[in-house]
Amino acid sequence: MSDSGTTGLEEHGALVAAEYVLGVLNAAERRAAERRIAEDSAFAAEVAFWEERLGGLAALVPPIAPPADAWARIEARLGGARPRPAQSGGLWQSLAFWRTLAIGASALAAACLAGLIYLAQAPGLEPPLVAKLDEGPGKSGFFAAANPSDGTLTIVPAVALTGEQQHALELWLIPAGDKPHSLGLIDPEKPIKVEIPAELRPYVTADSVLAVSVEPPGGSPTGQPTGPVIANGKLALL
Amino acid sequence: MDASARRKQLSAAIRRAAGGDRAALRLIYDETAAKLFGICLRILNDRSEAEDVLQEVYLAVWQKAGAFDETKASPITWLVAIARNRAIDRLRGSGLVRRAEPIEAAETVSDPAPLAEEMLVSSQQQARLASCLEELDERTAKAIRSAFIGGSTYEELARAWNVPLGTMKSLIRRGLAKLRACLER
Repeated sequence: MSDSGTTGLEEHGALVAAEYVLGVLNAAERRAAERRIAEDSAFAAEVAFWEERLGGLAALVPPIAPPADAWARIEARLGGARPRPAQSGGLWQSLAFWRTLAIGASALAAACLAGLIYLAQAPGLEPPLVAKLDEGPGKSGFFAAANPSDGTLTIVPAVALTGEQQHALELWLIPAGDKPHSLGLIDPEKPIKVEIPAELRPYVTADSVLAVSVEPPGGSPTGQPTGPVIANGKLALL
Repeated sequence: MDASARRKQLSAAIRRAAGGDRAALRLIYDETAAKLFGICLRILNDRSEAEDVLQEVYLAVWQKAGAFDETKASPITWLVAIARNRAIDRLRGSGLVRRAEPIEAAETVSDPAPLAEEMLVSSQQQARLASCLEELDERTAKAIRSAFIGGSTYEELARAWNVPLGTMKSLIRRGLAKLRACLER
């Protein structure tokens, strides 16, 4: 861009953030910007700045009554879909809240995964399964490895997280087409090995999903996730 | 009820919707559907597409309500962003032909106060935006308004205004940089 030197908006992708909110980017550029929102908090803050400030321009567009049956159609599509329950202030609905040390995340994650693979393979006759539990696109929250031979699963936070006492993190196994089954509470600060209950072991297969939800201390009172799911990922054969 | 009270009510409704309260979603819909439908229709210029996107918008609000942070965003700008993003994505993916408005059609605002009332944003914030746009030359301000309202790409704007693509990009980019500096002051 020959003119980019003149705008003074290059830093932190501020120009792209503004262009994204203004709506002038093409489809591919929009996807790239959205990936960046998920990965780069400075960029996300820039987008939020523009959304809040430029949003006022929407006042220029006259309101137009939607068709009378529009609400009924929306309500029909809500179906059984329930939003993730709101928690106090919604602040800690993401791993970011738990994450206090933003240290070389990818390097640590890679080391964790390597360790897990080693751990999982050591005694195994059956091939181990691994899962990367992502918080969002490109943002890993946990790595897990299951060893079907002895019915254990080891889960490691991908970045250093810190717990807080008012809430617990609960791990769930979700077989394809089934409801979540609890695998117990996990520690946000360090790797933890869980025993998979015997009746769930047949479901530790590729395509089952692991998920981590935020729950009251002691875990979900209902046997189903009650708080927001902060990370999830599919099991795959190593 | 004044704008500030309505804003608080809308924020509270989003919080309740995050907890699964359908009546709260209905309240959000009643307060904002006409505004958001107007926005979608303006971008898509196709009533049935706009109706479809409007449904998606409130489904997204239902799903994403827990992520709304009223300390960071006004409820209406949060909703407007969801609606515009959905409508623009539909437009880009659809092959619908949407002609950006010619330069003469881009609106100007003289008195921001009633708009602030309608938008439930603070009149101070709205006034700031209006005065910062006024600091730009008229052509640049029009280009920015027109881009925002129509959700048009640089290419579409350049065609509609009959200027080279590079000229349109420079115009808008310089305008955004100036606007950023002014809004931060």
